[in-house]
Amino acid sequence: MMKSHKVRVGVLALAATMAITAGGVVSPAQAKEKKLTIGFVVHVVGNPFIQQIIDAAKMAAKDLGVTIKVTGPAGAEGDAQLTAAQNLAAAGVDGIATSVPSASMVNGLNAIIKSGIPVVQFNGLGEGVNGPYVGEKSTQSGRILGKMVLDKIGGTSAKGSVIVGNCYPGFPVLENRQKGVLESLAKASGVKIVGPSDVKVDAAANFAAWQGLLAATPDALAMVGLCAPDVESIGKVNKAASNTTTIGAGYDLTTGNLEALANGSAHISLGQTPFIQGYLPVYILVDSIRKGIKINKPGFIDAGTEVVTATSVTEPFKLPALTFAKLQAMAKSQAKTRAYYEPVVKGYIKDWKKNLKPIADESA
Amino acid sequence: MSTTPSGAKSRKRFKLPEETSVLIALIVLIGIVGALRPTFLKPVNLLNLAASYAIAALIAGCIVFLLSMGEIDLSFGWILNLSAVVAGLSMIAGIPVWIAIVLGIAAGTVMGALNGLLTVFMRLPLIIVTLGTASVFQGISLISNNSGSVVPTDKKITEHIFFRALGGSIDTPVPIILIFVLLAFVVLHLTLHKTRFGYRILAIGSNPEAARLAGIPTKKIKIQVCALMGAVSGVGGVLFLGFRGAVDPSTGGQMLLPVVAAAIIGGTPLSGGAGTVWGSLIGAMIVGVIGVGVVFIGIDAVWGTLVTGLVILFAIGVDQIVRVRKKRAI
Repeated sequence: MMKSHKVRVGVLALAATMAITAGGVVSPAQAKEKKLTIGFVVHVVGNPFIQQIIDAAKMAAKDLGVTIKVTGPAGAEGDAQLTAAQNLAAAGVDGIATSVPSASMVNGLNAIIKSGIPVVQFNGLGEGVNGPYVGEKSTQSGRILGKMVLDKIGGTSAKGSVIVGNCYPGFPVLENRQKGVLESLAKASGVKIVGPSDVKVDAAANFAAWQGLLAATPDALAMVGLCAPDVESIGKVNKAASNTTTIGAGYDLTTGNLEALANGSAHISLGQTPFIQGYLPVYILVDSIRKGIKINKPGFIDAGTEVVTATSVTEPFKLPALTFAKLQAMAKSQAKTRAYYEPVVKGYIKDWKKNLKPIADESA
Repeated sequence: MSTTPSGAKSRKRFKLPEETSVLIALIVLIGIVGALRPTFLKPVNLLNLAASYAIAALIAGCIVFLLSMGEIDLSFGWILNLSAVVAGLSMIAGIPVWIAIVLGIAAGTVMGALNGLLTVFMRLPLIIVTLGTASVFQGISLISNNSGSVVPTDKKITEHIFFRALGGSIDTPVPIILIFVLLAFVVLHLTLHKTRFGYRILAIGSNPEAARLAGIPTKKIKIQVCALMGAVSGVGGVLFLGFRGAVDPSTGGQMLLPVVAAAIIGGTPLSGGAGTVWGSLIGAMIVGVIGVGVVFIGIDAVWGTLVTGLVILFAIGVDQIVRVRKKRAI
């Protein structure tokens, strides 16, 4: 009995040591440096779009000479994400940037802010969090997408079904996009909306959901997704069904989505400028901490909307014109992305205080 | 035997509790993280850590009953969610807070009992039944609030003692949720190890056929344990509502792995016939410390998930090896 206890203790202690050492302990030299540490919390790890945001946040940390700690749950759940943010606060970070996909995170984040650690939100807005939010104008971007789809299927005189999928029902930003899409599509009285259906976040489940939806409505005029995996999935579904008539539309400029646009199996994707959503929150935190600027009230900074089809790329903030091929190359290269956004870093991002608007602008 | 001195006899009889090994492991783990990041050892950090994992720990304490019976429930996360939604919507509808809490827990109990009834009457393992009911409960939860979060905002609700006590508005040396969960653990421990109901659960898990032949009403006990699991998940749901002040469509959805891992790391085997409620509490804290340690030490998110999974897997696997060795030794 005692022997087995000892073995178990030894094994579990070894397991503990594995946990501590496997990811690489911060070196003593790093620990001695007195520089700011920023916590960066995402709502899900392993999503290509979220990874683009993380990459941009790391670029900001490098540019600003601060340490960044990135964390987040493997599966999207607000409580696990809030716990991660609380752990970062307890670990002594100087500021936290986090997406806020859940209302249950709001009180906990406000407690962190009250304790003196500034919080900036990105990508997912938590109503009532006392900190600025960096993201798209979600309802407006939904309206843009809905209008573009409507234009492609025949305008206000269009007649037929449009399938709408939401990968994460209840996520406020997605609900706003959905509202905007439906508002635009409602202008065509002959358009019948199928859904919105839960098409899941996981790539495989997302593909299966769209496949099932198209099988159930084979004569659909369009399939409109609201999340990052949708355009790629819709493209694959169209390709597998040799379907050249159903318009595929959705969000984000991941490599897979751009490939679907390039090969013609999908048609529209709106980008929400992940570079700005990652870079700007870190910049705001560092700038406000260094300059002693208080940011403990809600506010909104528009991250802009990119409109991409196979033939055109419209970027926000008067950025240089891009070809589709250049956009694809950027999606694969962090260095090219950083170089392209240099004017934004020196202008829009540097002047973040001027661009801070009331939070109501987000859903206007 | 008669020649053994009484002192030696009493030393021979002394047996460390089953949970000693995991408790020491927890202390070692805390020590390692604390040595690398001393701020981790601040009492306030440790208490907040414990509070954050208290609800998962509570559920782990109850899933020990099911594991001891050789069963596993996959739906408890969504029972927790729907119970919280029922309680929250009842409060928003104007039902007094305490009554809404009772309604939430009652809803959890009914869902758990439904799991039990289906598994008994369909003669299917609980794991298969709850594969289906998990989606049913999640679906009802989404429909109930149009797939949005349930956020009671009326001051009459948010300033109620229940929300103030659990939400941290009332200063206490130890978070109230933690005190509640510790008391619940005492009750769960006594129920499993000191009551006829508990002995019957262990007997069913040990050998269902022998238990039935011995006159134990196995079907009734299964339904009761499932209802208990539902009730405790319901309690977890209303605690979550009070603790976080809201419930989201995703709440509870990712609870399965940490809860089951906590019970198994704590020393409850999947094979049934044995279980340790206190072990599951320590197991939950180990899972929590691993999660917090990853953040404290600054392991990147991409690596953190892998490291956490590997450590849990490793601990479970080796624990099983130890058990096999123990059996051989006997």
